[in-house]
Amino acid sequence: MHTAKQGFRAILLRHETILLFVVLLEWLYFNSVGPRFGSVDNTFDIMRHSVEIGLLALVMTPIILTGGIDLSVGSLLGLCAISFGKFWRDAGMPIPLAAACTIGIGALAGGLNATLITWLRLPPLIVTLGTFSLFRGLAEAITRGADTFTNFPASFLFLGQERWLGIPAQASSFILVSIGIWLLVHRTTFGRSFRAIGFAPEGTRYAGISVERRLAMAYVLAGIIAAVAAIIYTSRLGQAKADAGMGYELFAITAVVLGGTSIFGGIGTVHGTLLGVAAIAVLNNGLVHARQSREVAGMLTGLLLILALTSSIIPKMLASLKTRRQTLATKPIIT
Amino acid sequence: MKKIISLIVVAGLAFVSGCGKSNSSSGGSSNVTGGKKITVALMPKSKGNAYFISCKKGADKAANELGVDLVFDGPTDPDPAKQNEIVENWITLGVDAIAVACENREGISTALRKAKAKGIKVVTYDADALPNARDFFVNQATPEGIGYGLMDEAARLCGNEGEFAIITASLTAANMIEWQKYIEAHRADKYPNMKMIALRPCDDMKDKAQSEATALLSANPNLKCIMAICSPAVPGSAEAIKQAGKIGKVKLLGLGLPNENKRYVHDGVTDSVILWKTEDLGYLAVFAADALAKGDLKPGDKTIKAGPLGELQIEGDSILLGKPFIFNKSNIDQFDF
Repeated sequence: MHTAKQGFRAILLRHETILLFVVLLEWLYFNSVGPRFGSVDNTFDIMRHSVEIGLLALVMTPIILTGGIDLSVGSLLGLCAISFGKFWRDAGMPIPLAAACTIGIGALAGGLNATLITWLRLPPLIVTLGTFSLFRGLAEAITRGADTFTNFPASFLFLGQERWLGIPAQASSFILVSIGIWLLVHRTTFGRSFRAIGFAPEGTRYAGISVERRLAMAYVLAGIIAAVAAIIYTSRLGQAKADAGMGYELFAITAVVLGGTSIFGGIGTVHGTLLGVAAIAVLNNGLVHARQSREVAGMLTGLLLILALTSSIIPKMLASLKTRRQTLATKPIIT
Repeated sequence: MKKIISLIVVAGLAFVSGCGKSNSSSGGSSNVTGGKKITVALMPKSKGNAYFISCKKGADKAANELGVDLVFDGPTDPDPAKQNEIVENWITLGVDAIAVACENREGISTALRKAKAKGIKVVTYDADALPNARDFFVNQATPEGIGYGLMDEAARLCGNEGEFAIITASLTAANMIEWQKYIEAHRADKYPNMKMIALRPCDDMKDKAQSEATALLSANPNLKCIMAICSPAVPGSAEAIKQAGKIGKVKLLGLGLPNENKRYVHDGVTDSVILWKTEDLGYLAVFAADALAKGDLKPGDKTIKAGPLGELQIEGDSILLGKPFIFNKSNIDQFDF
């Protein structure tokens, strides 16, 4: 009985549980102030608006688990969006082929990050800071900053703007990717090694795991999913321009960290990330319904992040304080 | 421990709800006349921009006079998808009319068409969307109005004769080419003794404008007037004239914001800054959106009576704000944008 209670308490104190409560509280609060907040339409709005950042956050999770980071995903989204436009409009490819080639570009770009990080052993922060500028710069150079791709066929715009099986069409791809990444990280030895690498890269290497291959895989995956996000983004807006996805990398990282993944690697879950995405998305949308200005959203996201981080650390701090006090009390005083 | 956590969460939410209560009166005191209060949502290109803050002043005034519930929101970061998201939120929120200054012509049109399909009236101002995505465009200045206004003012400053030069943003910018066309047409028509001797691009940069103006001044001793038709070129040219010691000898006029030129106007370097009154633009955007929602403004109308702005022309589906406004020493201090 005692252990069951302990176990329940552990689950209750888990970061993800606290975050789930935060999301629920947000929901209840906004539902009470905004008459249309809880409507189906609005729920779908929230989904639609968070798919691209959600996808980036999902693939950012394994990377951060390994102790790495990918700052280039937002820029890569921009590069992929205009590549997609180029393939379709200028090369005259049908949409599915253009999409496939775009995903190829994403994989190549992710491969570039992976090569620099694993072969040359450069720090991910520096490598992706470089490709962050490189990818965006390429996108701007190709379009000279002004060329905009529009007039996509309605069948393609369906993906970003219409409903399929009752839910926003892009939500189904998001759900698929979520399940895929969750299974990869939590249910395969391959995925579990991401956390091992984050804890101790050298130790993992001595355990006979090919650290480089797994790291490379995480960055290539990020590239591929960034391309998918770019296609969804283009479909949602009906436009591809070089400034697509600007700043998205930071939103993705925020969602991952808010979801309880340690920025030093080793600790974290995919469902935590999903909750992180939800917490930010609900907040951003809800503030509109509460008739709040947009600046408040940024402030509250920051506050939420700090709150979530401290709330998961405070219990540990209190626990260690308690044991210290106990040891102090029992320690014989030597004079 | 649990208590502490819940305390933190509750404190956080209390903060959120505290924020929630403060903003409910953004529409201002209004005279609701029995019927349903109209909600107009107004979006700038970006929120921190002084130009749009000044537009909002006019919009607030219109909302107060008309008893409109005004929602004002816009992007605070450079994400081009933000305008679409805000519009989509407004659709769900169920506003009656939307007025948008469009950052991305094609991109925003997707969301605006959706709003129109839901029966929401759509007006664009400052920068237009695709014509099928909105009901009316509130046009702050036609190329003709800008071109003629610039040429008239230049001629007035020079006494109808002499050489002048134009500094533009780039030789390929579509809107500026359009303005130059009207400047030239008006010159040939009305001021044959004025002579345009040079057209120089400044790449929309102040320092480049300054070096171009310096070069123009030293190469053309008879130059009487510089016309700067992109906003960084006005202070840039002013600096050049000042440093060349030609204050008063060479006249300067241009398109720009009052605030960035005030100093030079007071020093007598810059003679005239031409632009529209942004407050009037915001006023008209809300006025037109409200009129549309009430059914007072319909497609095909030829004029609109916009309160203190008087009767304004409608050309096709664009509502014309009227002639540009000239800011000079006597009035520039009344404007803050």
